[in-house]
Amino acid sequence: MAIFPSEEWFQEVRQVYNSDISLHSGGGGACETTAGFYIGDARYLIEFAGLTCAQVRQSSDAELEESDFIIEMPMASWTAMVRDVQQNGKASSSQTLNSLDLNMEEGIARSPVDDQYKQDLFYRYNQNFQDFFNASSRVETQFEEPS
Amino acid sequence: MSEEMTESTSEDEPTQGVPEPSYDWMGLTNQWGTRVKPGEHGLRLGDLNVGIYGEIPEYWDDQTRRPRGALPRAGIPPLPFSLRSKHEMWADCAADLYEEAIQRRWIPATEVPWDTLEELPEDVERAVCQICTELSQCANTELEIITYWQDRMSYGYFEVKQYLATATFDCARHLEVLRKRALSNGGGLGVESRGRVNRMILESSGGWTEAVVYLYLLRGTYITRMLTGLLSFAHNDAEAFIYSHMLEDHARHLTYGYDHLKYAATHHEGATAIMRTLLAIGEGHMARELKDGVVRSAMAIIFGGGIQGGRTYGMERYLLLVREYLEDYLSICEWLGVDRKESLHPMLKSYLED
Amino acid sequence: MSEAVDTPKEYDLDTSWMDNMGEWGVKATPGKRGLTLTDIQVGSYADLPAVSDNMTGRPRGAGVRPEAYRVGAYSVHTLSEIWLDNAEFLYEEALQRQWSSATDIPWHTLEPLPDEVEEAECLLCTFFNEVEFVAGDVPARWIAKTTPDYLEARNVLSAQVMDEARHMDVFRKRALANGGGLMRMSGATSGFVGSIDLARDFTEMSTRLHISGEGAVLTMFRMGELFGQNEAEKTMYRLCAQDEARHVAFGVMHLRYISATAPERHEEIECYLDEAEGQLLSGQQNPAGTQAETSEALAILLGGGVQHYDEGHKKLLVIRRRQLKEYVKRVISAGFGDRFENGRSPIPERYAAAG
Repeated sequence: MAIFPSEEWFQEVRQVYNSDISLHSGGGGACETTAGFYIGDARYLIEFAGLTCAQVRQSSDAELEESDFIIEMPMASWTAMVRDVQQNGKASSSQTLNSLDLNMEEGIARSPVDDQYKQDLFYRYNQNFQDFFNASSRVETQFEEPS
Repeated sequence: MSEEMTESTSEDEPTQGVPEPSYDWMGLTNQWGTRVKPGEHGLRLGDLNVGIYGEIPEYWDDQTRRPRGALPRAGIPPLPFSLRSKHEMWADCAADLYEEAIQRRWIPATEVPWDTLEELPEDVERAVCQICTELSQCANTELEIITYWQDRMSYGYFEVKQYLATATFDCARHLEVLRKRALSNGGGLGVESRGRVNRMILESSGGWTEAVVYLYLLRGTYITRMLTGLLSFAHNDAEAFIYSHMLEDHARHLTYGYDHLKYAATHHEGATAIMRTLLAIGEGHMARELKDGVVRSAMAIIFGGGIQGGRTYGMERYLLLVREYLEDYLSICEWLGVDRKESLHPMLKSYLED
Repeated sequence: MSEAVDTPKEYDLDTSWMDNMGEWGVKATPGKRGLTLTDIQVGSYADLPAVSDNMTGRPRGAGVRPEAYRVGAYSVHTLSEIWLDNAEFLYEEALQRQWSSATDIPWHTLEPLPDEVEEAECLLCTFFNEVEFVAGDVPARWIAKTTPDYLEARNVLSAQVMDEARHMDVFRKRALANGGGLMRMSGATSGFVGSIDLARDFTEMSTRLHISGEGAVLTMFRMGELFGQNEAEKTMYRLCAQDEARHVAFGVMHLRYISATAPERHEEIECYLDEAEGQLLSGQQNPAGTQAETSEALAILLGGGVQHYDEGHKKLLVIRRRQLKEYVKRVISAGFGDRFENGRSPIPERYAAAG
């Protein structure tokens, strides 16, 4: 059972996401973007190329400076989001990436070089990222943090 | 709603407090209680025409962007919508065609099997590229005339505006895919079109119906036969995909075009007389365009498998295509009540007599 | 007796055109994203004329025919007037990310709402149904005015026309699908000076439409996930937001291009931004603006009913702050950020006062 957060967990989610086209909802579609996840002290890089998640792996602050945008939340918020997906099969309305971004004063998505054009990619490709995390409902997950 | 958001907004509270709402917009509706349910194919545009929302008047006086069925508001400056009569743009099929266009969308970059392109004999490749260039200019003309008229059409007939938005997108796609085909197999673009009929279409500044007569009835009917012929003689799966999908899109355009002309013919006195006049002039231009050596010979080369075959079988096949186009054209004219059989331009008639 | 041999009739074939075609021997190859518009920028076909003299509507790079009829009175015929560096990319993205309001929205999740909430939602939908197609009509008009030499930029605009038709459609559907109906029109996008319709220059139009208007609406659509009362509404707003973000991207990238290539137009564009900011702050064309009827509807939706109007209004203020903040950052990204440092723009002061 993969632990969230971990590279192993993200790889399993990637496998699920790429293998089942029914997880790619209408309004998604091909996209080209590289983003970063800041989860506690861990850093992950995710790349979408076309209709697939091309890669997701551990990364570093320095490497993620080159990414289009970074999604950063407190660990507790990440955990709550993934638990919600596990429980409901997909994110409930208050736990979607978009909702979480709107509900936090400074949002959760930012461009590492403070370029709004790059940050807007989070809005342009929002559905793909949401579908990716929704796919985690099929990954048996253990949490680093207790609920 | 989340605590984070409420906490942050309490710091942001303006010193003047929350303004008292007026709610004077509440209750302002022409018809309430409408509940359209999705059918077998989802919730379609045409399904919304219930009650007052389905009342489509013959003339739309409103020069604002008021949605049909919404209440007007006094004092709104007008916009220059010059087409405000239903007969100037309507087709009963517009809403359905809009939904169909969305369902049947395709993506040239990733859905055309580009890897099936193989080297063709040079004369054939040149002919294919030339036809791609010609069709590209036809698509460009269609794009320009649609977008010219689109914002002159009033909102009362939004189904037509929405359908034409899909046609705009189709034209962009055709421009894209034809250019891609011409540049992906060792060839290049051809020589530009002489543009006689293109200019005729673009000069139809009298009205959208007049443009449709030339765009879809006179020239569009010919394009259909061209695409059908090209599909029959496609050299590979990539070309077959391109032509078959263009044909589907084009068929939708013609369905709208013919349907609109029929509506105009049956709802506007004098429309058929105008169409007759336009066609009498337009047929001459079409005939001269058909005589132009470039398209004619390029199509013959494609059908004949090369210049050699083009001189014989290929040209015979092309002349058959033109005959079929004219038969289609005459048949549709008759259906519209604009019979052209007796007065067809002599240069066009000669194709039927050979 | 010998059989007569049927010899096929032989026709003349004019093949002189083969000597007048465009550059020959070109072979664009598909990349990992298929065969994109970027991939076919090969040889001379990639050459973008800084000023286009194409009056016949020919595809860029096609062989010229001296006797071709002039068809185009293209008022947009200089590259800097309309270009953006990632036009090919945005167009291909638009093609990939189309959706259907008929089948991709879970309409079955609509359930009866309290009257005032339904009225608020219907007012908002009436507004969006009304205004979305200004974003379709106006780019369409500019397509017809633009030389086909700038095919890629024109194609992005064609995709926008399609997107806006879909938005117009989805909001009308929502208004008529849950026991409500259309309400009173807003008149927000009518024929008054400073409106998107009456722009006389493409960059002026794009500034008003893409940067100001659609930037504000993008925030609204994103907020739909918060004020949407059911999965159908949330999905509707989320998908519209994706499209809108693409349109905003066009505006930012076009301004970025013109900023870099036409410095003589800098002051002119600053004036367009002055105007756009005036409208943004006054609430014209912004459904979350102070003057807007729709702001009351939004407050009801954000609060979850009239009894929570005040709470909803506070959330509305957060929306406005975010609209302003993101607008500022987009203009900075576009290369016009000095205006926020040198006191030209009233927005920093207004933003600070609101915070």
